[in-house]
Amino acid sequence: MNKIAISLQQVCCIADGRALLDVSTLSIRHGERIAIVGHNGAGKSTLLRLLTGFMPAAHGKVEVLGRDLSTGESPQELRTLRCEVGQIHQGLHLVGRLSAVENVMIGSLGRVTGWRSWVRHFPADEVTNAEAALHAVGLLARAQTRADKLSGGERQKVAIARLLVQQPKLILADEPTAALDPAAAGEVCHLLAQAARNSTLISIVHNPSLLPLLADRVIGLRSGRIAFDLPLSAVDDQKLTNLYRPDEAAPAAPWQLPESARRAVFS
Amino acid sequence: MSVHALTNHFVNRFSGRLGFLGLTLIYVLLVAACLGTLAREDELSLGRNPLANLVKTVGEFAHPSFLDVWFGNQQLEYKSDDGTVLRVENRQEVEADYLAGLGRATWTTIRIATLGSLLGALLALPLAVLTARNLAAPKPLAWLAKSVLDIARSIHTLVFGLVLVGIVGLGPTAGILAIGLHSMGTYGKLFAEAIESLDMAAIDAVRSVGATPDQVFFNAVWPSVLPQFVSSHLYVWEFNIRDSTILGLIGAGGLGLLITEATSLFQWGRLSTVLIVIVLMVSVFDTISRRIRQALS
Repeated sequence: MNKIAISLQQVCCIADGRALLDVSTLSIRHGERIAIVGHNGAGKSTLLRLLTGFMPAAHGKVEVLGRDLSTGESPQELRTLRCEVGQIHQGLHLVGRLSAVENVMIGSLGRVTGWRSWVRHFPADEVTNAEAALHAVGLLARAQTRADKLSGGERQKVAIARLLVQQPKLILADEPTAALDPAAAGEVCHLLAQAARNSTLISIVHNPSLLPLLADRVIGLRSGRIAFDLPLSAVDDQKLTNLYRPDEAAPAAPWQLPESARRAVFS
Repeated sequence: MSVHALTNHFVNRFSGRLGFLGLTLIYVLLVAACLGTLAREDELSLGRNPLANLVKTVGEFAHPSFLDVWFGNQQLEYKSDDGTVLRVENRQEVEADYLAGLGRATWTTIRIATLGSLLGALLALPLAVLTARNLAAPKPLAWLAKSVLDIARSIHTLVFGLVLVGIVGLGPTAGILAIGLHSMGTYGKLFAEAIESLDMAAIDAVRSVGATPDQVFFNAVWPSVLPQFVSSHLYVWEFNIRDSTILGLIGAGGLGLLITEATSLFQWGRLSTVLIVIVLMVSVFDTISRRIRQALS
C-alpha cells in the first residue's frame, strides 16, 4: 500500500492571469484518506480538477495513478484516467432525466461500449451490480425514480452508488455534504468512507466534525498554497481558525470556473 | 455596429420612465398617422350598406351546407324563365358528395402538414446544432447556419409555396416543401434554444466517469434535449396544420382549394362547413398535443 497514487512537483495553475494553485511538492500514497480544508477560493476545487485533467497545469509535474498529466495527455488517455477516478460533487452531478438506477449504471460506461451504451441496454451483470450498489446505499426502492425527483441526500447516495459500480482507484469528493442536514451529512460521509475502502479518497470538507469520518491526513490550503499537511490527530481548532482567518491582501476569489472551460462539452 | 448593439444602444437610450412615456407617445402618433392618412384618402369606408350585407352573410353562414345532407330538398328543380324544367337535383346527394370531397381534402391538408413538419424538423436539426452557442461550432459555419434559418423564418409559407408551385408544379409536393422550408426556421430556433439550455451538470456527470463523446451525447445530451425537441415538434406541427389549410389557395391542394372555390362562388354555406371542419381539426390536434407536452415535462 505504499505505492504513490498522486505526486505534484512545482505545479502552478493559472487562469485569467492569476495563480489559482501553487504547490511545490505533494505526494499521496495509495489507500490514504485525505481531507482538504481551506476558505473559498483557496484552490481546493482547482486541485481536484487538476487531478482529473479538467484543469491543465501551467507548469510543473503532475502524476496521477502513474500517468504524467503535465505532458499534454490526449483526450483518449484522459478518458482512461477518468475511468479510474471516481468523482462526487456538490449535489448536482447526476443526469436529472434518467432514473436513479440508470445514473448508477453510468459508472460502468468505461466497461460498456458501443451501441449498448447509447441506448443504455446494459449487460445483465452490470444491472445486477447497479442494483446491489443501490441496495448498499439503501435506495433500491427508489431505483426507478427520476434523479431530479430525488432529495439532496438521496442524490448524493446515488452518486456514491455510481462510485461503487465504477470501482475507481481514486475517489475525489468535492464538498459531498454541502447541501445536506447534519444527520444526512453523517450518513453520506459514512457511505462514502465505505465506498472508498479499497481506494484512495480525497475529499474537500468544511465541517470539522466530519473530518474523522473521512480522513486520517488533513491538508490546509490558503490562497493556492499548502498551509499545513498534518495527520488528523495533529489538527486542532487553532490551526483551522488560523486557516480560515480572512486575509485582506487576498484578491476576490475566482471559485467560478471560466465559461470557456465549461463550454468545451465534447472534449 | 451590429444590429444587436444598435438595438441595445436604442433600448438604453429609452430606458426609464421618461423613455417609456416617449415611446408611448411615438406609438400614439403612429396610430394617429395611420388612421389620419387612411381617412384623408377616403379608404375608411365600410361600403354602401354594411349592415344589410352583414345580416345576409351571417344568415347564410348560419346554415352550413352539410345540414342539407339530411334536410336538403330531394327534388330541387332548376327552371328557365318560361317554366321548363332544366334539371332536377337531389340536394342530399350533392352535399353528401361534397362532404366526401371535404374529407379527402382534409386528409390532404393533414398529409401536407405532417410531412412538411417532419421535413422542416429534419432540415433544422443539423443547423440548430451548428447555431447553438454552447456547442461552439466553427464561427463561419455557425454564421451560415444562422443566416439560413433567419431567411427561412422570415419568408412566409405562402411565398415559398408560390415559388415552389412554379418549380415542382401544382399539388401537395409544393405544399410539403413550402411548409418544410418555412418551419425549418422556426424549428432551428427552438432546437438551438433547447440545446443552449442543456444541463451542464449532467454532461459533467457522464464525462467524469471517462465516457467517450458518443456516450456523453447519448447519456447526457440526448435525454436532456429529447423532451424539448418533441414538445417543439408538436407545437410547430400544430401551427402547420393551420398554415396548410391556406396553402390550397395557391394550388397546393387540400382545404384551401375548397375555401377559394366557396368564396369565389359566394357559397357561404359551404365555406361555413369547411371552417367548422378546420376548427374541429385544429382543436382536436391542439388538445392531443397539449396532453403529450404536459406528460413530457
